[in-house]
Amino acid sequence: MKKKVLSMFLTLVMLTMLLTACSPKEKETDKNVENAKPTTEASKDDAEPATDDKDDAKAEIDISEPVTLTWFLCGSDVSDDTAVLAKANDYLKEKLNVTLKPIWGSWDDFDATATNKAVLSILGGDDVDIYFTSAWTSNAYYEFAKKGSWVRLDDPENNLIEKYASDTWALLPEVLTNGAVVQGAEGLGTYAVPGYKDIATQNCWDVNVPLLEKYGYTLDDIKNTDYYGFGDIFAKVKAGEGDDFYPLLIEGAVLERMVTNSIMVTGDASSNNILSYYINPKDTAADGAYGNKILSKFETPEYKKFTEKTREYYLAGYIDPAMGNADQAIPAREATQLTGKYLIGTQSYALGYEDQATQERGFKVAMVPCTPAYVDTTSSQGAMMAISTTCKNPERAMMFLDLLNTDPYLFTLLDYGIEGEHYELVNDGEVKFTDKRSDYKPWANGMGNITQLPPLEDQGRDFWDNYKAYYGAAGEIPILGWTFDSTDVNDQMGALANVAAEYALSLNTGSVNPDDALPKFIQKLKDNGIDNVVKEANKQLDSFIEEKNK
Amino acid sequence: MSRNRNEVVYLKHRRSRRLNAVSIPSEVIIHIILGLFCFLCIIPFIFVVIISFSSEESIRQIGYSFRPIEWGVQAYRYVIDLGDQLWRSYFNSFFVTIVGTILSVLICVLYSYALFRVDFKYRKFFTFFSFFTMMFGGGLAPTYVVCKSLLGLKDNYAALIVPMLVNPFNFIIMRTFFQSSVPVSLIEAAAIDGSGEYNTLFKVIVPIAKPGIATVALLNALAYWNEWFIASLYIQDAKYVPLQYLLMKMQNQVDYLVRNSAQIGAEAAKIMADLPQDSLRMALVVLIVIPIACAYPFFQRYIISGLTIGSVKG
Amino acid sequence: MSKKSTKVKSASQGFASRKKTLSLLSMVAPGTIWLILLRYLPMLGIVIAFKDYRIYTKAPSFINNIKNSPWVGLDKFKFLFATSDALKMIVNTIGYNALWIVLGLVISVSFAIMLNEVTNKFVAKTYQTLMFFPYFLSWVVASYFVLAFLDPTRGLIVHMQKNQGITGYNWYSDPKPWPVILTIANVWKYTGYSTILYLAAITGIDANQYEAASIDGASKWQQIRYITLPHLRPMITILFIMNVGRIFNADFGLFYMVPKNSGPLFPVTQVIDTYVYRALAATNDIGMSAAAGLLQNIVGFVCIMTANTIVRRIDEDSSLF
Repeated sequence: MKKKVLSMFLTLVMLTMLLTACSPKEKETDKNVENAKPTTEASKDDAEPATDDKDDAKAEIDISEPVTLTWFLCGSDVSDDTAVLAKANDYLKEKLNVTLKPIWGSWDDFDATATNKAVLSILGGDDVDIYFTSAWTSNAYYEFAKKGSWVRLDDPENNLIEKYASDTWALLPEVLTNGAVVQGAEGLGTYAVPGYKDIATQNCWDVNVPLLEKYGYTLDDIKNTDYYGFGDIFAKVKAGEGDDFYPLLIEGAVLERMVTNSIMVTGDASSNNILSYYINPKDTAADGAYGNKILSKFETPEYKKFTEKTREYYLAGYIDPAMGNADQAIPAREATQLTGKYLIGTQSYALGYEDQATQERGFKVAMVPCTPAYVDTTSSQGAMMAISTTCKNPERAMMFLDLLNTDPYLFTLLDYGIEGEHYELVNDGEVKFTDKRSDYKPWANGMGNITQLPPLEDQGRDFWDNYKAYYGAAGEIPILGWTFDSTDVNDQMGALANVAAEYALSLNTGSVNPDDALPKFIQKLKDNGIDNVVKEANKQLDSFIEEKNK
Repeated sequence: MSRNRNEVVYLKHRRSRRLNAVSIPSEVIIHIILGLFCFLCIIPFIFVVIISFSSEESIRQIGYSFRPIEWGVQAYRYVIDLGDQLWRSYFNSFFVTIVGTILSVLICVLYSYALFRVDFKYRKFFTFFSFFTMMFGGGLAPTYVVCKSLLGLKDNYAALIVPMLVNPFNFIIMRTFFQSSVPVSLIEAAAIDGSGEYNTLFKVIVPIAKPGIATVALLNALAYWNEWFIASLYIQDAKYVPLQYLLMKMQNQVDYLVRNSAQIGAEAAKIMADLPQDSLRMALVVLIVIPIACAYPFFQRYIISGLTIGSVKG
Repeated sequence: MSKKSTKVKSASQGFASRKKTLSLLSMVAPGTIWLILLRYLPMLGIVIAFKDYRIYTKAPSFINNIKNSPWVGLDKFKFLFATSDALKMIVNTIGYNALWIVLGLVISVSFAIMLNEVTNKFVAKTYQTLMFFPYFLSWVVASYFVLAFLDPTRGLIVHMQKNQGITGYNWYSDPKPWPVILTIANVWKYTGYSTILYLAAITGIDANQYEAASIDGASKWQQIRYITLPHLRPMITILFIMNVGRIFNADFGLFYMVPKNSGPLFPVTQVIDTYVYRALAATNDIGMSAAAGLLQNIVGFVCIMTANTIVRRIDEDSSLF
């Protein structure tokens, strides 16, 4: 016993030694940082006394000091960037005296279901200047803005947007710049440059046209009814195609939103959302059935009605039981889409998707929208670039982001590669990729303002005009920009996420009986504090709307 | 030394099989039980191989099946398309596994031998010192910061080797192997003969403990070979990417796109349609498992034959 | 042992003992340095569990961030107890672990002994290689294998049932068979691994002992009982103690991947690790993840110390320390 005490004591001693060995170093680095800051600032002041009053014009900014910018991107598939970088850096050197050092992060570096590289890099304080961020990746824009990871770009003291990026802001649709305003560590403001991509949400019925016509229906038959009226069509097709055929091909959560006209509440981060906001399906800018109110998703009459109908469809054999198994559902859905063994599916739409799907699946696919296209917080924050608070030169980073979003040459170079090497221009300005493209494939939509790109060969010359027309016309929902901050109710959110994972998907796909499961589900949600969460969400929403209407 | 020799001579005697073998009916039962279990163990792997050679079309139509309606090598072609990077990564994995295994086994044998020695003054302390780290860790973020910023483990081979060099669990396993196979009298005898500690360890103890060392080496080699998470944290430069990480990246990308297709949009659907998703997943398993499975008998030789040959070479 | 060397004087004895200690200390040195740098140093990060981690924007660095984050006491631990399912998941975790510790022990030890009795060494090696294969396959891959049989629409079992005119059965929405399925999966995956540990311990046994026993007329059973098992005792005890230390940690992949994360199975598949995983995926809070890890470690530590104390009472040599 004595020995054990001794060994524990020794361990403790070693630990304290470690602690003390460490703390001076901490102080040192602390001092270094603190020392470093004033000196760089001082030297800057010495070098460029004029920059202090640089409010009016960009031309006056001093860029004589070379700067290297580390840029952490998402979704990249890049194995050889030397040629592109050499070219881009020559160009950037001349324009901004900047050298770019990209970190080609992959999708899983941002995987929201695991601790990963991007988050560790941010939390660990790595030397990265610009991070990709969005509402749906692990380094969620809003959350990390609140943690203090991003530089506030429209800081009243030092408004980087006004100074260096007014061109970008002039060109971005208002929904995007509005959607980017959040409550961060430095107050309500903009903490990242939003990317102009497929920014609208529009849920559609994905229709297998040849099959529909085979049974004597037309697209109008789908358009003229809704989910609750599909029964007859399903019955007829199911009877004709046999037992192994399931006419309704669904993604449970998407189906639920489509049918009840609810949207994802940004900040409700569990994989099964537990909160609902109901929009007006005819006019998304107007108030929905419940006005500006957040509801507990599973307690509404809409939800009950939906699950009852879905159960009916399930029992009639219209829905594949595999869709109710969380980890099996999505791959199974993908596979079924490609084989064409479905009649109506659910799809969250992006412009041009019906053509793409028709081509991929080898039969005519049509999209029948349930609502007009609208922009909500999640979709407006789909791909953003944030300047890290570890960045030593936020000014130059901002200048780079501005150039990236306004200079088609630079953007095309970084996104599509070098003309003549990674792509060729055919038909008077359409892009045709070469084999080399496989070595350099960043996520095209994840970099910034993609409307600067030349159209692809199969997109057609007027692609970007249509694109801007479609997404430019997308209306904003009344609560655009609002994000639920769950920090104060995190304990309940964790427990509720587990409860939702137990019931939601089975109810959404009809694989359990709602008469039995739904009351149990609701009771369990209540036991785990859903009321508290809903109350907190509404409190936040009210104050958001109040501030917005000021 | 003479005493030592004697033991060696004794141990060199083969165990007389005829005399001391189980009865034939018992052995038949043993074969039935082990055979059945082994069948269960290998079937999933055969299944994996079959799926990896199934065409994607077949998987879409009938799901995972032992009898695909169409065979295909799309998945392997997709991997081969990685070109030089694939071979580079194979090399990295072999290099890291070999160097890492040798170093980690060496550290493990040294540390656990000291723990095994009852007469080591600080034995209890060092046992607890290593055991404690098995129970408590600082978590991912602090370890990441220490490795990357303090130790400079970033884009080099050390970043792949150092973080896995020590596994306290193996210390304890190794110590237990020593306990169950090394007679204390042997160490005493060596000490009387004036043998230094290192000499005793490497000349006398290590040969006897071969099965245990081979087992720990196997576990370490497997750990190094299968590691991809550490690479994903510390390796950016394609030059150092090991095989597992290269392939896991492909796999994770597919999984991620599948899960987030709604947010990424039409582009995700496009990437996914181009990928042989299911067969690729299985092909990656085959490509990773085959090399290490081939290395297995090398370790096994020491584990199983330890008894039959009873080899103790001086 | 120095007692035996009668010739040596006490002075040189002290010298020899110091030299021995120094030699042994030099042996533990490499491991110790590694443990200090890569284990003990990061342990300072445990404080994150008691803080609300934020970036110190004035001079962001990991250490500064931690230092300047506000203390929140035990707040980050609360989510672990905020669920109405706390009891269920604890019972599941401990229940499965307890069953599998015993089952794993019995099966692996018997397999190791059986393998050792196989006359043809080539066959024995083949068995052992095959047994190890599941250890190569990840739970994700295993889950696809299980799915191939149990898939509610395309699975092998459903096909067979359909051929016989029985209506399909959705395995992924009925919890009843899953305790058995999970147990089989666990045995399947880890038996090869622990068998090899026991087998290596058996092969380390001096062959003379068996020979002598057999000449004395000991039966096979008696040899196993009086030679093999006593020699295996340290290994069995150590692995047992270690497993007891992990009794509150469940094998995440097995409980999450293999049932395909299917909701209706939660009554039998929800364990502490899956709960924590889902809760953290929803909240993404580094402090909460540190807290969950710390609490599991503390509980595990207490379990191990208890088990070790009990073992030491019975058999001091086999105990951990």
